[in-house]
Amino acid sequence: MLLWPAAAAALALWALLLLALALATRTPDADPVPPTSVFAAEPPAVVDLITGGWRLCEEAAAATLLDLAARGAVQIEEIGPELSLVRLRQADGLNPYERLVHDHVRSLSRDGVVATGALAEGARDLKSWWKRFRKQVIADARQRGLSQPRWSRAQLALLTAAAAVPAVVIAVAVTLADPEHEGGLGAGLLTFLGLMVLTRRLNRERGTELGAQAAAHWLGVRAHLAAGRFAEQPAASVTIWGRPLAYAAALGLAPHAVRSLPVSVPADDRRAWSDYGGRWHAVEVRYPARLIWGREPLHVVGRSLVAGFFLGFWTWIGLLILSAFDLWPRGLVQPGAFAVGFVVAAVPTARALLGGHGWAEGQIVRLRRQRSGGNENQPKYVHWCAIDEGTGRELRAYGMAGEQWALLSEGDVVRVRVARGVGWIDTTEVLSRAVRGDR
Amino acid sequence: MIMVVVISALVLLALVGVIAVYNGLVRRRNAVDNAWAQVDVQLKRRHDLVPNLVETVRGYAGHERQTLAAVTAARTQAVGASTPAEQANAEHMLTGALRGLLAVVESYPDLKASRNFAELQEELATTENRIAYSRQYYNDAVLTYNNAIQTVPANLVAGLGGFASRDYFQAPGEERGPARVRF
Repeated sequence: MLLWPAAAAALALWALLLLALALATRTPDADPVPPTSVFAAEPPAVVDLITGGWRLCEEAAAATLLDLAARGAVQIEEIGPELSLVRLRQADGLNPYERLVHDHVRSLSRDGVVATGALAEGARDLKSWWKRFRKQVIADARQRGLSQPRWSRAQLALLTAAAAVPAVVIAVAVTLADPEHEGGLGAGLLTFLGLMVLTRRLNRERGTELGAQAAAHWLGVRAHLAAGRFAEQPAASVTIWGRPLAYAAALGLAPHAVRSLPVSVPADDRRAWSDYGGRWHAVEVRYPARLIWGREPLHVVGRSLVAGFFLGFWTWIGLLILSAFDLWPRGLVQPGAFAVGFVVAAVPTARALLGGHGWAEGQIVRLRRQRSGGNENQPKYVHWCAIDEGTGRELRAYGMAGEQWALLSEGDVVRVRVARGVGWIDTTEVLSRAVRGDR
Repeated sequence: MIMVVVISALVLLALVGVIAVYNGLVRRRNAVDNAWAQVDVQLKRRHDLVPNLVETVRGYAGHERQTLAAVTAARTQAVGASTPAEQANAEHMLTGALRGLLAVVESYPDLKASRNFAELQEELATTENRIAYSRQYYNDAVLTYNNAIQTVPANLVAGLGGFASRDYFQAPGEERGPARVRF
């Protein structure tokens, strides 16, 4: 059977072809020029791409926002060490990814203002937002002649055609080896698809000759900026530093400013920003342990009765043993066990049944669900809902039923009926849906 | 001997605890001072804008003397205020006087159309917004600080260290929580 060695050889030849093409399409080396203060025309996001091995880093979005601030499209002002504001200004002549960042800020703004910490909030799908941002930055870099996809059309066609050879050989080999099961076609298709996926995965951005020169120049700028003290500068210092701070952020030299502008990072579960009441403010969100809190009242009663019974039983066993060694009075074995069981059952039951109900009105700042058991096919979740009522800076999330939870969004203003003792929402009324955009 | 060592260790532990609590209180007090400095900057900015606004209005509506005088008097009182409580009262009055002034402006289309006035009004609105945020930030810092000096065991250290509670920046009748301010 020569077909198997032939299939292996075909695969090896295809891999060699891939390797040869990969070597031929490497990004030209970018040797940094001597430190320079001359800023070229590329925007910070493109600079981030070409100086980061043609991979866009998360800081590109923050650098873009800093650049918008330096150019006057927004204004960043510091109110305190933990509170800075982004204020919208007239924004004309923005390119698509700058517009994307500006639109995100606008979508969160209230009276034209959003707190910098709140930039991670909002109902956007962060993954698809980042994909769009990345795509638009790459499009800009390609338009400037700095970047291109690794494979040209001809190379892609060659790799596709070449991948068909080992796929066909493997299909024939499998068919001849096992004619009864007719698995040849499937094996061939799988091989072809696997090779195509590998080809696609390697088809990342690479720099052109011009791109390598630009990267070398910007690495020289980086060396120049590294001598400055950008590392601890807050985002609001863009008022003083202007565009150099935006470029420093893109070049990885301004981590403090980048951290304070979480444009492209997911929102924190435990620290939320809310604009309920008219002004952005931070609230700490706690998700208490679910011994009692966040459970349905009747569920709490059932669990506490079972827990009381079992704990009483084991206490009875324990006290029996202790009394056998004269370490516990015999007459107090049953009363002791009963007392333990009663307390364990009665305290949560009293909280569930006597805690009363109350109405809470406010803005949903966090909707989260946590896996609490079940199996892969039927997972069970705990559903949490944190509501900012505008009365404090610390919130305890409430538990609620999954069906109700699924109908809500962060930012909705709701009125809910809560079992106070156990933190369980049983009735929800949406007063207004999350409004995105300037209000 | 063992007793001496145990007592010394306990005393040392207590001392370290006191130092830690004291440093925490100092940090919170500094945060309040810093927050007040931010409020002060924004208030000064507003005080500086008012004379320009009054002059601009006077150019078009010079006979509205009573309204203009009320604004000027309220500004003088606000500039002279020293404590947060006094300042809050004075600013509250100034806000009322400015609202009166802006209501008067509605009767003067030429003034409303004036670019200078529009810019001043925009600047004033921005400053009001900054003041609102600074005030919220300051009040949050005061709440944290006051809670810290009133709770056990930090209240013992606060009493010895002379940490007095701070006033919120709010005029009587105003709520401390988030409130919408439009101008």
